Amino acid sequence: MSTTVTPTRPPAPVAPVSRARWVRRIVLLVLVIALFLIPAITRIEGQTLVSNSLLFRFTQMFMLITLASDWNLTGGFTGYVDFGHAVFFGVGAYGTGILMGHGWAFPPALFAGAVFAVVFAYMIGFPTLRLRGPYFSIAMLGTFVAMREIVRVSKGITGGGVGLTLPPYLNRPLFYYLTLILAIIVVGVMWWIRRSEFGASLIAIREDEVGAEMRGIRTTLHKITAFAIAAFFTGLVGGLWAYQNTFIDPDLVFIESRTVELVMMSMLGGLGTVAGPPLGAATIYWMRDVVWKNFADYHLLAEGAILIGIVLFVPAGIMGALGDRSGTSIQRVWKRWMGGAAGEGEP
Amino acid sequence: MSEFVQAVINGVMLGGFYAAMMLGFSVIWGVMHVINLAHGEFIMVGAYLTWFLNKEYGWEPFAAIIVVAPVMFLLGYVLQKVLINRVVDRPHLVSLLVTFGLSIIIANVLKLVFTADSRITESSATGFWTVSEDITIPITKSVVLALALVIMISLYLFLQRTKTGKSIRAAAQNKQAARIVGIDIDKIYAITFGICIAITGVAGTMISPIQAIAPFQGPPLTLRAFTITALAGLGSIPGALMGGLTLGLLESFIGIYVDKIGTNLAIVASFALLVVILVTRPQGLFGGLRTDEEPQPL
Repeated sequence: MSTTVTPTRPPAPVAPVSRARWVRRIVLLVLVIALFLIPAITRIEGQTLVSNSLLFRFTQMFMLITLASDWNLTGGFTGYVDFGHAVFFGVGAYGTGILMGHGWAFPPALFAGAVFAVVFAYMIGFPTLRLRGPYFSIAMLGTFVAMREIVRVSKGITGGGVGLTLPPYLNRPLFYYLTLILAIIVVGVMWWIRRSEFGASLIAIREDEVGAEMRGIRTTLHKITAFAIAAFFTGLVGGLWAYQNTFIDPDLVFIESRTVELVMMSMLGGLGTVAGPPLGAATIYWMRDVVWKNFADYHLLAEGAILIGIVLFVPAGIMGALGDRSGTSIQRVWKRWMGGAAGEGEP
Repeated sequence: MSEFVQAVINGVMLGGFYAAMMLGFSVIWGVMHVINLAHGEFIMVGAYLTWFLNKEYGWEPFAAIIVVAPVMFLLGYVLQKVLINRVVDRPHLVSLLVTFGLSIIIANVLKLVFTADSRITESSATGFWTVSEDITIPITKSVVLALALVIMISLYLFLQRTKTGKSIRAAAQNKQAARIVGIDIDKIYAITFGICIAITGVAGTMISPIQAIAPFQGPPLTLRAFTITALAGLGSIPGALMGGLTLGLLESFIGIYVDKIGTNLAIVASFALLVVILVTRPQGLFGGLRTDEEPQPL
C-alpha cells in the first residue's frame, strides 16, 4: 500500500497485455450478467418445467465450481492433496439438516452447518496437516470413510442409515441465485487470496515448506487457515445441497466419487490456478450432462479413464495449455517432495 | 472369559487374513514407490473369479487358486507394462491418481459384469470345531489362516532365497546399483507387480467364502492395507504379520465388546490407529524392505 514511486521506475506495462486483460474482464462481466438473466429469460418464455430443469442443472454446476475451487485451495495452492474433501460437504449437509430438524430456519442452520465444517476442519487438520505427501492424502481418505461410519451409527442424532428428511422447499430460482452468488464469491475470494500475502505464503509452503518456515511464515497456521476457509465454503454447498435435495443419508452425502470429481475437475482446469477449477468443473459437468447421461452405466468407468488420461498426458490442465504457468511448478514440487526418494537428482 | 477367548480366536484369524491381504500393497510400494489405491479392487477381481468358478463349474473356492493366481499374475504383468511403468518414477501423487482412476474403472467393470448384488462362494469346508460350549473355531477361517501363513512363508523364502527374489530386493534398495550389476529393472518391476497382484487376487479367493463380496468393497480393504503398512514398515513380512494381527485383534475386540455398532466402528478404529501411528511413529513399528522412504515426521 505504501509503495512510493521512484523517478527511475520503468513505464507501465505495454498496451497489448492490458488490452487482453480488459477483453477478459469484459467477457467475464458479460458472462456473469448472462448467468444472472437466465432465470428471468426462461420465465418470460413461460416454460416452467423446462426452465426448472435447466436451472437445476446450472445450480449443480455452480456447486461444483465452488467445490472445485475450495479443493484447489488446499490441493492446488498449498500442495496438500486432499482425498477426503467431501467430508466437509457431508458435515455441512448434516449440520444444516439436523438443525432444521430441530426447528431452525434455513439461513441460520446453513450458516451453523458451515461453522461445524470449520470446527471439524480445525479438529482434523491439526493432526493430519502435520503429515506430508501421500500420508496426508490417505489420512483424509480415512477421515472421510470413518466419518461416514460415525454418521451411520449415531442413529439418535443423524437418523443413521435411514437418513434425514428436510422440510421440502421447491424454489429453483432461489437456489440458482444462491449458488451463483456463492460461486462468484468463492472464485473472487480465490482470486484475492492468490494475490494476497496469505496466498503467496501458501504457495511458498507448496514450493518449499521448510524454506517458508525459515523465512518466518507460520506454516501450520497458514495451512489450517486455508483448510478452514475451504471447509467453510464446502460446508455451505453441503447445506444448500441438502436443502435442495430435501433428503440426506450417509451414502448419498459421503460419496467417494464426489472427491474424485473435484480432483479431476481441478486437474483438468489446471491445479493451483484461479480460473482452472471453474473451467474444469464446467467442462466436465456439461460433458457429462450432454454425453454421458445417455450411457449411465459407463459414465464412472469413463471418468476413471479420463482421470488417468489427464494425469498422464495433460498434467498442467487447460490453463497450462493456455500458457498460464502459475500452477505448473507444482510438478516440480511433487517431484521433490514425493518422488525424491525414488533416487532422481540424488548423487 | 469365553467371550475373551473367542475374540482372540476371531482376531487372530482376521489378522492372518489381513497380513496376507496387504503383502502385495506393501511390496509394490516398497519396490517401485507406487501406492496402489486399486489394491482392494484387485482383491475383488480375485474374489469374483473364484465366485464364477464356484458358481458355474462347482469348483471348491480354495481350489480356484490354481486359476486365480496365474490369471492375476498375467493381469498384473500386463498392467505394469502398459500403465504402471509410466508412473513408476513419477511423483507419488501421479501414481495415487492413476491407481485411483484404475480402482474406479475396475469397480465399475465388476459392477457391469457381475451386477451390484453381493455374492458369497460355498465351500465344502464349513462347520466349527467346538472347543468348549461357548468357544468355537470356524473351519473355513482356519483354512484361510493356514493359507495366509503359507503365502507369507513362501513369499519370504522367495525374496530371500531365489535369484529373482534377490533381484527384487536389490531393485528396492538401490535401483541404480541394481542396474549396474545387470538387473533388468523393467522386467523385475513387471514380475514384482505380477506376483503382488497374484497374491492380492488369492486374498480375494480367501475372502470369498467368509464374507459377502460386492464390487464397491475395495476401498475399506485398501485403507486397512495402508494402515498395516504404516504399522509394519514397507515390505516387511514379519512386520506384516504383527501389523495384521494388531488390526485383526483390535477389530475383533471392538466387534464383540461394542454392542450392535461394533462392526461399523471397526473401520473407524482402523483409521484412528492409522493416524496415531503416522503422527507418533512414522517409520512403522517394525523394520522394512527399505528405509530411505519414510513419512517425514515434522
